[in-house]
Amino acid sequence: MNDQAQQSKATLLTWILLVGTFMVILAGPTMVLMFFGLLPTFVAYIIDRSEGKSAAFTVGSANFLGVFPFIVILWRGENSYTDALNITTELVSMLIMYSASAFGWLIFMALPTVISSFVLIMQQRKVAQLRGLQKELIEEWGASVAALVEQQHSSDQEHHLEETFKKPAPR
Amino acid sequence: MANALEQAVETVEPDTIESLLPPEEGGIFAPETKPESDPASEPEFGTDPEDISQHPPATLHGRYLIFPAMPLPALDSPTAKAYAVEDRTEPKQNLFALVCSPMQPTATHVMKKIREASITGLLPLLDYGPTFWSPLGQKCMIVVFQRPLGGRFIDSFGKVSPHLSEYEIGAKYVEPLLKAFQRLSGMGLTHRAVRLDNLYYMDEEKENLVLGECVSTPPGHDQPVLYESVECAMAMPSGRGPGFAGDDLYALGIGMVILLLSKDPTRKLSNDEIVHGKCDQGTYPFLCSKERIPLQLIEIVRGLLADAPEERWDIEAICRWTEGQKAHVTQRKSLLKAKSPYMFMDKEFYSPRSIAYAFSKNIGEAAKAIRGGKLDAWLRKALNQPEMADSISALITLAKVHTGKPEGSDEILISKSCMRLDPLGPVRYKDFSFMPDGFGEAFAFEYFRKSNFQVPAEILARDLVGYYLGTLPVQSSDVSSQLKTFKTLNSFAKLNEMGFGMERCLYELNKTLPCQSEFLRLDFVYDIESFLPTLDTTSSKADQQARPMDKHMAAFIATHFNQDIAPHLKALCDPREETSMIGLLSLYALMQWRMGHEHLFGLTEWLGNLLQPAINTYHSRTTQQTIAQEIPSLVRQGSLPDLFDLIDNSVRRHNDALAFKQAQFEFSQAESEIQSFVGEDVDQEEMAVKSGEQATAMTSVIVGMIGSVIIIFVMIL
Repeated sequence: MNDQAQQSKATLLTWILLVGTFMVILAGPTMVLMFFGLLPTFVAYIIDRSEGKSAAFTVGSANFLGVFPFIVILWRGENSYTDALNITTELVSMLIMYSASAFGWLIFMALPTVISSFVLIMQQRKVAQLRGLQKELIEEWGASVAALVEQQHSSDQEHHLEETFKKPAPR
Repeated sequence: MANALEQAVETVEPDTIESLLPPEEGGIFAPETKPESDPASEPEFGTDPEDISQHPPATLHGRYLIFPAMPLPALDSPTAKAYAVEDRTEPKQNLFALVCSPMQPTATHVMKKIREASITGLLPLLDYGPTFWSPLGQKCMIVVFQRPLGGRFIDSFGKVSPHLSEYEIGAKYVEPLLKAFQRLSGMGLTHRAVRLDNLYYMDEEKENLVLGECVSTPPGHDQPVLYESVECAMAMPSGRGPGFAGDDLYALGIGMVILLLSKDPTRKLSNDEIVHGKCDQGTYPFLCSKERIPLQLIEIVRGLLADAPEERWDIEAICRWTEGQKAHVTQRKSLLKAKSPYMFMDKEFYSPRSIAYAFSKNIGEAAKAIRGGKLDAWLRKALNQPEMADSISALITLAKVHTGKPEGSDEILISKSCMRLDPLGPVRYKDFSFMPDGFGEAFAFEYFRKSNFQVPAEILARDLVGYYLGTLPVQSSDVSSQLKTFKTLNSFAKLNEMGFGMERCLYELNKTLPCQSEFLRLDFVYDIESFLPTLDTTSSKADQQARPMDKHMAAFIATHFNQDIAPHLKALCDPREETSMIGLLSLYALMQWRMGHEHLFGLTEWLGNLLQPAINTYHSRTTQQTIAQEIPSLVRQGSLPDLFDLIDNSVRRHNDALAFKQAQFEFSQAESEIQSFVGEDVDQEEMAVKSGEQATAMTSVIVGMIGSVIIIFVMIL
């Protein structure tokens, strides 16, 4: 399993390098601008330990939004390395780009809390709704309607006990 | 009331001495005689005339009115009382009715056959049926006869002992009764109540002599011991059985002897002495050796009183005699009699038959005597019957092997020994003795007397009748048929379930016995057609919380209802109340449907009130409520099949089961979903935060894409 994961990582890296090289050849100045402009995104990707890399996506989206106008300016100009480097050395430009990424971080710090509270409330409502449904089922069909659940519960308990007392396999 | 009747039944068998004394000494020849009994124990069949308002007349089939206030003691039978009757359709008819005791079985199947046929020489039976008899407070079997206008035969002699000369007896006694015997024999029936006090003159001129009734008691029950053949005399009165035509002819012969001699030659003897005399000497020598029988009648009297059934005259022989022809003379076998007596309880016995009778009356002493070995020696030396001795020795050995078990008891030893000593005698066990064809009536009597089946159950369990039939010298097809019957009874008795057991045996042996269930006992239900209507009528008085079913009812239905009800009986025996209740409902529904009873409102309501356990077998409360609400409308229709269809509809059950499974699945799904939110292994907050972060990321990406598009539009366009 580990070998497979390492292999897939290696494959991914190879593709990134391949595509990156290709992009550098085709759109070098843009890549230079994007490299310097999206540095906060790269940092966010590295430091983000969550499973879906949610922080990276949030910061990345905001960061890109800050970088994209300057990419358009570059494209509308000579689209040269000189123009790209000029933009990256302008303080205002970098400030805009990095401020956008900062805004992304702010969103990531504030919005999940609000949304999770909302999700918790929704879950509690759902649980209450489901309990109500179960109560109605019991009123209509009697306590024996819960037999499957009890059976499953007993089976799980037995399984748990078996696992607890199972002897480890000899090496 | 019931106790009084029981005691009356026990005193039924008339004592020979009192019943056959000359008129001046109060015998049966006296104008009005009653068996001596405790007046307090006499059943109160009748009432004083002043009580007529309290006991209105009973009505039989809407036609005959029977008046409790008008008893006719001159026409009483020993266990049935006679009352005046009025026929509404033909008021000028002279009739009387016999009210039969509800505490003993009656010969209802004989009543049916006699009513349908018009038998010359027999008291005409016009109608019969169970009717409410107010002095007893319950239904009884009432039989309506044509009233004999000439009264009893014996009463026609006034205060003088009855007597007919040798010239009169043929024409005035034998020939009139012979026609009845011929007709009864042709119908496969026997009378078994042939005695001088049961003969009547139908006409006032006293020329038309007829046999009296024979249906109010079991066959032979009311006969004095003198009138019974040796074998039947040794059985208890209820166990004498219908026998065969020869038993009636034997009684005819006894009547002839009394008429010829103008007295009962055994008037000073007890019943036991009469039996022993017949056993040791033979009936004819015992009665007539010291008397003078007219020469021309010796042949017929000898022939009729022959103890061996195959030697006894039959109807054809009597017909030839009446026509003046010579009867076919059968070679008479000599009685099996020893040269020297066998002493038992300080008495002398000369024949094994007599010994068997004595043994059966004294079981404890008999067991000692048999085990002592003197009997064995006597059988071999005095009687010269080594095979008989060997068979009894084998029984003693078998009893020793089974010491301590029922098979080794004194009762079994004596019972089987008596069968070996007297193969043609009755089956004897404890105080229960019967001919095989009389077991049914004896069984019923024992149940009426003791309300339990103890002794008959032991007889069946020990297969005593099977052993008896195996010892018979001749194994005929009748014997095989009886063996098969008792084998079937034994199998019924072993199954202690509804519809089987000893109750089933009781009804199988007594097809016209009314159902003895507490619900129906007072209503005299003796056929299956009246079962449900009667139960329906009694439902208003019954405990509505009690189930209308018990062992007697189940056995009665199993005996009489000619449909396969094995699945219903099985359901009735189920320990689960709901299954048992559904089984009961389905059985009654089947009966109502098959027999075409239209409305049974009372019974439907009764069962409807008991159906809650059956309704609860449906899972859905809504369905349960629907069913419960529909019951009253079905009760108003009085239809048990509809009620059963409501309770046990297969489509509804199937749908309920499917819906229940679906409900279980929904419940399980809901529980799984709940557990995914609030389960033990679930960190709800963490999951919510994760969801928030994912939502934030997605929102940012979307905003970023939209922003990019806007930037393009703004900056390029």
